[in-house]
Formats: sequence, structure tokens, C-alpha cells
Amino acid sequence: MEDFYDVVVIGAGFGGSAAAKKCADAGLKTLMIERSENVGDKVISGLTIPIYGFLFGPDFIRDGNPPFERPTDGIINYIIYDIDAGDMDIDDTLRVPRPFSPVVTFGYNTYCKPFCEWQARKAVDAGSELRTSTTVVDIIKDNGMVSGVVLEDGSRIRSKIVIDAEGSQGILAVKAGIRKKYPPEAISLADTYDYVMDKKDLDRILGYSLRFCWGWDEQKIAPPLGHGNGLMVWPYRNSVHFMQDHCLRLDGNKVPNLKKRFQEYHDNITTKLPLWKEEIAPRCHVRARMWEGFEIYVGLDPELKKMSNHDDGIILIGDAAGLESTELCDGVPAAWFSADIAADVAIEAIRAGNTRKDFLKKYDDRIKDHPIIQWSISSRNRYNLRYAQEKHDKRLLKKYVHYAWGMGQLTHSLTPILKMTFRFIKKDPAIVTKWIKMYFRYYQNWLHESYDYTESRNRIIDPGRPKTGEAVFKILVGGQDLILKILAPIIKLLAIPAFYLSIIANPAMKILLPVMRPVYKILRVPLSPLGNWLSDKVVRFVDRADPSLFEVTPGQSIISQKGSINLKKD
Amino acid sequence: MIKTHDDFPGVEWIDGTGDFIRVNSSKCTGCGNCMKVCLGDCWEIVDQKAQIKTLATCMECASCWYVCDAGAVDFSWPKGGTGYRSDWG
Ligand SMILES: Cc1cc2nc3c(=O)[nH]c(=O)nc-3n(C[C@H](O)[C@H](O)[C@H](O)COP(=O)(O)OP(=O)(O)OC[C@H]3O[C@@H](n4cnc5c(N)ncnc54)[C@H](O)[C@@H]3O)c2cc1C
Repeated sequence: MEDFYDVVVIGAGFGGSAAAKKCADAGLKTLMIERSENVGDKVISGLTIPIYGFLFGPDFIRDGNPPFERPTDGIINYIIYDIDAGDMDIDDTLRVPRPFSPVVTFGYNTYCKPFCEWQARKAVDAGSELRTSTTVVDIIKDNGMVSGVVLEDGSRIRSKIVIDAEGSQGILAVKAGIRKKYPPEAISLADTYDYVMDKKDLDRILGYSLRFCWGWDEQKIAPPLGHGNGLMVWPYRNSVHFMQDHCLRLDGNKVPNLKKRFQEYHDNITTKLPLWKEEIAPRCHVRARMWEGFEIYVGLDPELKKMSNHDDGIILIGDAAGLESTELCDGVPAAWFSADIAADVAIEAIRAGNTRKDFLKKYDDRIKDHPIIQWSISSRNRYNLRYAQEKHDKRLLKKYVHYAWGMGQLTHSLTPILKMTFRFIKKDPAIVTKWIKMYFRYYQNWLHESYDYTESRNRIIDPGRPKTGEAVFKILVGGQDLILKILAPIIKLLAIPAFYLSIIANPAMKILLPVMRPVYKILRVPLSPLGNWLSDKVVRFVDRADPSLFEVTPGQSIISQKGSINLKKD
Repeated sequence: MIKTHDDFPGVEWIDGTGDFIRVNSSKCTGCGNCMKVCLGDCWEIVDQKAQIKTLATCMECASCWYVCDAGAVDFSWPKGGTGYRSDWG
């Protein structure tokens, strides 16, 4: 007998579980199918999830307590012209300044496995079923209509809708004729090392910042400019990730010998970059090495971008839909956004009794209308680094890096971020309170490793802690929440023109940036003692504060009764 | 059975994958692209045809499949619950 579900989700990675959770919450009979033995076993990544993923992603992530390795305050770029001569520039202008940092962040670093497990548990708690160690080998089509999946043992599972969250290779979507295999120049292979390091050393040496290395191709300290993501270093809690990635094919049809190249870049940077050679190398040892590819340039090719993301009875999300971003090489936010949209459309379609392509087109419309997805998959900054190399112009390289991964980011990311902000405020102005609480809750979570399903969520709070900060927080945030609620009708109205006016934010930034840059440079030195003092005070407050202060739903700090659910078997 | 490899710490390979990558020799042009992009050293060229040397160090990235212009590499996933796994990705 064939099993029947409302929704079958292929893959329990970042996108799959988010979609399954929403469908299950809506009362749909939902099944996630995952090929690995444990959820997250096969998900390999960087990984910094940029802040917009949390602000505008699924509610349960924003309002919950996921596992983090470290908040990150921004990027320090090493622009290397001659590594042997020590000729390099540093651009560290894309960082959240103190006192906002480290509580207000640029993003959060995390390992994929615990994060994906956390999400899958949430989906299972919501009522979704999960089958691990199960590979989907095909999609069932009846007269062109997708009506379920085929498993490796030949058994069939039927569903009203399939949500395909199989990741970047898209083997099933290619097999079903919904999408085509990507050309190798659109794919970047990432070689990743995981180094263990003492937290105290990490706090001192890398702190909260990511390090990106850019250099002339002949320096051989990073993959060729614009032919991949580059070379990056991520600080985690007690470890560092080192990642370099390189497109599978270069101009002129050339397929590089990646094993040789990666070895060369890795050896050069770890033995020549002073930060690594002098500070990191003596204090770390390698724990893991792995690799995985991602679709770095799919959004830049009109033909590839045009490929379908839905068909009769099926919706593709995340990497499977070609949504990996070329801007920051962050695919998780888009996986979450698309999962959220796909679940909404699936719920609507099932309720309407129409799961055909004409109805599911809503999904594509909403993806196309998503300011952050569209900006992040089609930004040309990374690709343009090729021109800097061609001209071999230092100023050009510095300019491109600044524009993409320095303060210049604001000239192209501000409009989409503001648009999303006002879109959310228009729906519910009180979201601002949830955002603020999220920053504080997440920061406390990182300090105490107290994410959902861990015992430390129930830690004893010092009854003798100073309470003034808590009272101030309650008054400020509570007062603000009250005002937002009272003025909600007016704020909702104002959010409409603000949304449309956001369009001028990017061009305005272009004019303002030349003024902002020197002002920021001058002010940051004298203001830094004050910023540091205030920031330390906030951190001390968050460290000791009653966690319920930062909860969105009271009582969330209680450990889930299903905390011991075994995700290993179905 | 679970296997590890000295060159790739922190990764485990669970036995029983089956032949999830196959080569169609009649289509293979022997260009060696699959070998060039494979970080697990899984490929070799014998008599001007690509052959899989081992799948024991394959991280299932599908790079060999992407770079095969001739369409000679048939890539699918290993049997559920087998193949590589890591806690550090
Ligand atoms: C090296 C690297 C670094 C990255 N760095 C970042 C970063 O810093 N920030 C960021 O935001 N993003 C980053 N990304 C991208 C991010 O990891 C992806 O965009 C994200 O994981 C996509 O989520 P997804 O749900 O679409 O797919 P995935 O998370 O890949 O999940 C797919 C799931 O489906 C399962 N699956 C696949 N096929 C089948 C099948 N046939 N049957 C059953 N199960 C199946 C897989 O095992 C997997 O669990 C990086 C990616 C890589 C490779």
C-alpha cells in the first residue's frame, strides 16, 4: 500500500525543515525525507548566516533559540598585492560599530549539523514526520502532474504537493526535466578546513570578525579573482573555518586542477599571511577537511535564472531552485525565505484544491518580488573582480572590494533591506520588538550555549544579580512595544510610502558614502573608548539577565518535552 | 562499517553506498576533467577512458558530473544512510 501525505519534502537541510514546519503547523500531513543517517550529516558550509535571514526569515527561527557558534560583527578584508613584500591593504569598514556590536550583529556563524537538527526537531515538534537514511530516487508524474516520490527500495509515497529541497545539485529536478544541469562555470567547489583553537585565543585574535583574503592571481594566495568566492576565515566558538572555493571551469573552457591549486593557496596563505602564520598557526590544529560545491553564478546567467522553480504538483526551494547568493555566497537566507513562501503557497493550493502549475505560479511571483533574494542572486560584485585582475589596477581592486564587502555594500544592499523592513512593519509594527528581543536572546544564547533542547536553557539565574538594567530594558522595550501597538494603524500607513521611498536609499548612499567614510574614519578613534565601555556594559547585562526578559512567548525557556527525540530513525 | 581516511580528518564514510557514480565508456573522451576537479582522488584514466578508482573518499559533491561535457558521468546518490558524513560542516 502506498503512503499518502499532503506534502512530501525532499531533504531536511536548511530549507526543507523550515517548509515542513510551516506546513505541519497549518495542520497538513507532512513528511520530510532525508538521505543522510542523521539530519545535517551531509550539509557542508561556511557558515555565516547574514542577519537579514533571521530578521525576515521563518517566525520560529526569529522567535526561537537556535544553536550558534559565534555572532559576527562584519568583515575584515585583506587586499593582498604582494604577500612576500607585505604589500597589502585592509578594508574593515563593513562592521557593526560598538556599542551596537556584538549584541547587534552582521550575522551568526554556525555549524550546519546542529542548526539543521534544531530546525528538523522544530518541524517534528510541529507534527511533521521525518524519515532519515532514505534516498528519494525519482519523482512520480501522472500525466505530467507530480504526485509523489519514489524511494530507493522502489516504494512510492504519494502527496498532493512535493516540495523539493534537495540542494544545489538538483539531481531529481534534472531527472524530472524541470531544470537542467548547471554548466561548471556557474559552480564553485569549496575546500573547507575546520581548525580547533582555544576560545580565549580566538576571542583575542579574530574576535567577532570574518576575514576575507583577496589577491592578484599570480600571488596564488586565493582562487583567481572573480572565479569563485575567494578565501575566507570564520571564527567559531572553539574553532576556525578556512574556506577557499573555485569555479569548476574558467574562461576559455579550462577545467583547473583543483587539488593542486587548493593545496597551493592553502599552503601560501597559512605560511605567509602574518595573521595566520604568527597568530593562528601556533595555536590551532586541524580537526576536519571536507568540500562541497555551490551554484555561485546561476543568478547572473539569464538563461539559468529563467529555469523553472515549480511545475504541476511540485515547488523547488533553496539551492534546488538556484537561489544561492553570489553577493555574500549565503544561501541559507534564501533557502529560508523560499521555504516560507513555498509553504504558504502549498497551504493555499491544497486548501483551494488546485496544485497545478497555474496556481503554483504564485510561488515564482513571490520569489521574483522578494527584494533580498533578487538582489543577492544577481549582484555582479564578485564577478567584476575579474576586471580588476585584467587591468591589474590596485585602485580598482580596492574599490571593488570596498564596494562589495566594505562600507560600499550599503550602496546596493540598503534598498532591498529597507524594503523588507517596511514590508514587515506594514504587516505588524510590533515586529520591531521581536527583532530587538531576538538580538538580546541570541547573544545570551551564545554566551551560555543555551539554545533550545539543551539543558542549559534551564540554568539557574543568580538571584542576587543587579536588577537596574532589567528594569531599564523592560521600560524601554515594553514602552516602545506599547507605542508601536497604539500607533499601529498610522505606522502601517506610513510604511507604504516608506517601502516605495526605499528605492532611493541605494543612490542616496552613493552620494553620502564619500562624506560618511571620512567622518566614520575620524570619529571612530575618539569614540571607540566610549563605544567599548557601553558595549561591555550591555554584554555584562545580557550575561546575567533573566532570559524571560528576551523571550517573545513567555515560558519558552522551558526545555522541550520532546528534547530527546531521536532524529536518527523515522 | 564506518571508514576514515588520514588525508581527510573529521569525515566518516559509511559502507554500502552502491555504485552511485558510473561512467559510460562509449561516451567518455578521456579528457580527464573529472580527475582534475576531484579532491578525493577518486578517478583515474586507463586506456584513455575515465574510471572510478575508489568511492571510499568521495564527498558526493558531483563536480565530476558537472565537468563532463560528454555526458559520460552518471551521478546519483548513495543508498540512504551511507556515504560520507561529518559533524564539522
Ligand atoms: C562550502 C559552502 C559554504 C557556504 N557558506 C555559506 C554561508 O556562509 N552562508 C550561507 O548563508 N550559506 C552558505 N552556503 C550555502 C548554504 O549552505 C546553502 O545555500 C543551504 O544549505 C541551502 O539549503 P537547502 O535546504 O536548499 O539545501 P541543503 O541545506 O543542501 O539541504 C539539502 C538536503 O537534502 C538532502 N537530499 C538531497 N537529495 C536527496 C534525496 N534525493 N533524497 C533525500 N534527501 C536528499 C541532503 O542530504 C541535504 O540534507 C555555503 C555552501 C557551501 C557548500
